[in-house]
This record gives sequence, structure tokens and C-alpha cells, in this order.
Amino acid sequence: MAAVAALPDDVARVALELPLRANLSALDNIALIPLYQRHFDAAESTQQAQAVLDQLGYAEIAPLRDPDMTPAQRFVTQLGRALILNRSRLIIDRPGAMLYDVPYPDFIRQLAEQTSMSGTWEIFDFSWNQVLYNQALKSE
Amino acid sequence: MNFFVTSIESLGTKVTGWFSVGYNLFAFLAKALLLLLDRTTWNRATFDVVVKQVYFTAVQILTVFLGYTLVISWLIITIILTTARDFGLTEFATEMTIRVLVLELLPFLTALFIALRSGSAINTEVALMQVNNELDALAHCKVPPMQFEFLPRLIGGVVSVITLAGLAGLFALLLSYLSIYGLSMAGFEAFTQTIAKIFDFQILAGLIAKCALFGLAVTLIPVTAGLETPKKLFMVPVSVLRGMMRVFFAIVAIEVVSLALKYI
Repeated sequence: MAAVAALPDDVARVALELPLRANLSALDNIALIPLYQRHFDAAESTQQAQAVLDQLGYAEIAPLRDPDMTPAQRFVTQLGRALILNRSRLIIDRPGAMLYDVPYPDFIRQLAEQTSMSGTWEIFDFSWNQVLYNQALKSE
Repeated sequence: MNFFVTSIESLGTKVTGWFSVGYNLFAFLAKALLLLLDRTTWNRATFDVVVKQVYFTAVQILTVFLGYTLVISWLIITIILTTARDFGLTEFATEMTIRVLVLELLPFLTALFIALRSGSAINTEVALMQVNNELDALAHCKVPPMQFEFLPRLIGGVVSVITLAGLAGLFALLLSYLSIYGLSMAGFEAFTQTIAKIFDFQILAGLIAKCALFGLAVTLIPVTAGLETPKKLFMVPVSVLRGMMRVFFAIVAIEVVSLALKYI
């Protein structure tokens, strides 16, 4: 796991250790990136964040704060935040720790199909969870 | 002998701990001031968060704060007037009221009010952010926490203490005029002359500087105390306890130094 934590700057990471800002809504958590990194104004940043949530099929979670979200909604917000970073690699670190309420290999695959990210998606998981991914591939 | 060695070790640990806290505090302040001078800091996003902080710290509490300062001011003015009349010192009542209330008591109470309401909240929030890795997440996303979280709180604290203390002072002046002269305009000239005599440039600059330092103390110390929190949830109350003790000592120290500079 130390190797995952010490990833280079071109990697966007979704992990349990990188939580959302608890007092901000899902939309604001995502909008922070264009607002502070690319210096867009608040309206434009919010619009971009909403577009990411729309693309992931979770537009309705925009006003929810972290404690009011289900694990899947929280994961989608973290994923939205990682996607808006526009980095070439996306690493999902131990998804089972975040997505304990859904069959996550399928869930992640569906989300990946909905997005238009040009880079690569990588999942780091425990070897004993391999069977879950095999099942998901078989059901395809 | 063993007891002696243990005592020296414990004292040494405490002293180095105090130095470390002081160093962290001033290093953080220096970083914040440098960032304040950086043109890129002043974007729309930072400005919006500063406005939000001023709203939460000063505007939201305005009615309660003004009610509380009016009651305290009225009590102190009544005590001063009664005592002045008893001792035949009525001509000094105005000056005494302004010096005690506007220059000392109201800024001090404002700082305490903001410390208890906002300082403790800031300390808790920063400590929780530290424990929950929220600051690491912001760093991963290259969102500068200093610009987004800390600097607006420091500016908000300073602006809030200065404006609230100023507003409380103005209300206290009005109340003291009404208590001394009633609704008549007869004493207006004498009253304004006394105000002009007390509020020379040095006193006014000192008052603003003191309020700014109070504002810094009630925000900077909670932020640094929160950042020192070890990543263990049960340490959050300890962090708030330490932070608020430091805030109390800092406020008292600022007040004592200000009194010493003015009257000794």
C-alpha cells in the first residue's frame, strides 16, 4: 500500500484515505478543483462539477454532504473529484473498503463505461478479491 | 536523585514543547503573511471564502452580540456614574467610561466571545480534518489548504474582532452619552471634546492593533492547535482543550501588554 500512497503527480487516486471535505456538498467537493487549480469562477466550476455528476448518472447527489451519502454515492463523488483532475491515470485503491453496499466490480465497470475519460483506470485490490472480478467478467 | 533527574527531564520536555508550539505558531503566521502578499492568492474563490467566514464569525452573531454588549455596557456605565457621583468626580465619568469600556473591556469581551464561539469551532474542525485525512485529500487534489481553509479564517477573525469591537464601542459611546446627558444635546460638545482628547492617533492605532492581534489569536492558535492533533479521534477534545487554553493565555497576555504600554 505504501507504493500506492507514493504515486506520481499524474495519478488521480480514489481511496478510503482520501475522503471528501465533510462540510461541503458533493458538488462543492468536485467544484473545488476547477475553482482552485484552474481559477475558474464559482459558477463555471459548479457547472463543470455538475456535468461530471450528470455523466456518472448521479446528478441527484449534488447537494448531499458526506455523512448523508450512501457508500456508493460517496464513492461516485470521490470518483468525480478524481475525474475532474484530468490526470492520465486513475487508480482506485481497495474499492471493497469504500463500496461495501454494492457488487463493486460491476458497479465500477458501469461507471467507467459512462465516462469519457481518455486515460487508464487501474484497480488495486487484495488478491483474495480476484474471484469477484472473475465473476463480473463471466457475467458480461 | 532519581526524582531530581525525572523532574529536570519533565521540565525540559515541557520547555521544548512550548518552544516547539511557539515556533509552529510563528512559522504558520509567516507562511500566511507571505501568502497574503502573493498576488495569486487574491482570486475570486479565496475572496468568496473570506466573505463567508466574516459572515459566519461576525454577521451571524450580530444581534446576540449587540444585545450582550449593550447590557454589559449599561451595567458598567451605571456603576461608573454612581461611583463618580458618590466621590464627586462626575466630570471624569465620561473619560472613565470611554477608557474602561471602549478601550479595554469591550475589545477584550469581543475577543472572548469570538474565541468561545468561532475559535473552538475552528480548532475542532481543523483537528477533525487532520484526523480524517481531509487535508491529505486536498493536497492530493492540489487544492492549497492554506488558501482554501486557513487564510480566510485568519482574515475573517481579524476583520470580525475589529468590526465587532468597533461597533460595540460606538454603541457604548451612545449609551454613555444617553446615561450622562439624557436625550438633551446640551452635553454634546463636551462629550465629543472628551472623545477627541482620548482618541489621538496613537490610542486609535493601538486599539486597532490590539483588536487585530485578538483576532489573530482567536483564529491562528486554534488552527495550529488543530494541525498538531495526532491522527487519533480521541485526541480531538485534547486538541481543543489545549488550543482554547492557549487562546485564553494569549488574549490575557495581549491585554496585559496593551495596558502596560498605555499606563506604565
